[in-house]
Amino acid sequence: MNTNTQLSDSALISLYIAGKESAFEQLVNRHKNKVYTTIYLIVKDSYTAEDLLQDAFIKAIHTMKSGRYNEEGKFSSWICRIAHNLAIDHFRKEKRSPMITLEDGSNVFNNMSFSEDSAESLQIKEDTHARLRELIQTLPQTQREVLMMRHYAEMSFQEIADATGVSINTALGRMRYALINLRKKMLNNNIAYDKNLYSE
Amino acid sequence: MIKTSTQNELIQYVYNELADDACEQLELALTQDLELAESCSDLLMMQQLLDGAAKAPHQRAIDNILNYSKSLSLQS
Repeated sequence: MNTNTQLSDSALISLYIAGKESAFEQLVNRHKNKVYTTIYLIVKDSYTAEDLLQDAFIKAIHTMKSGRYNEEGKFSSWICRIAHNLAIDHFRKEKRSPMITLEDGSNVFNNMSFSEDSAESLQIKEDTHARLRELIQTLPQTQREVLMMRHYAEMSFQEIADATGVSINTALGRMRYALINLRKKMLNNNIAYDKNLYSE
Repeated sequence: MIKTSTQNELIQYVYNELADDACEQLELALTQDLELAESCSDLLMMQQLLDGAAKAPHQRAIDNILNYSKSLSLQS
């Protein structure tokens, strides 16, 4: 039986440090997709992203188990920042040019439920999300960075401003342009943008 | 034409970072300004699409992480 379902990240970390492995499992499952996406959008390769995901969480394990975890910030921001740094380091070491990997889409939505959708609408969603990931890569670096930090790493705009050395208004402006540009690119590329497809 | 300051507030609003009093003012403006309401709708739509674009790792990668953590617990 699992009793940790509704616990905060902070509570789960305390339980984990006290030796409860199931608390860590909750923590990993809660944040794995955002951490993985943060990495994937930089390295653009599923296998590399999974390797770096493991490295990021292993770093987190060592930090927490050695009592060096600083509880001041949010866990999600912290783990995504570790992941972001590892992905950037990897990218620099590999000295690869940005490359967009085509996806077969078979595992993209493996933990999401679209059981009520038709096969056709599922395929449209899948294609749209894959194309969206490609379009994110085409954004100017400053816009892409803010978008990833806010949307996937869940950093606040003030945290992003501090981390990138700009004012909060600049961070907000970059996010605004990132979203506007993405929307324009989607429309220009005739990518499905049907509100009915995404309604709850 | 929406002012830049209002557009920035809109971004903070859709990401739940707008202060309560500013939130109330913006919500009132949304009921009176169609252009602003459409901008808000577009931002929310992009948010939803970005949520959907998140990728999930294979379970084997998660199992490796959890097993590594357990192996450290066994050693200590």
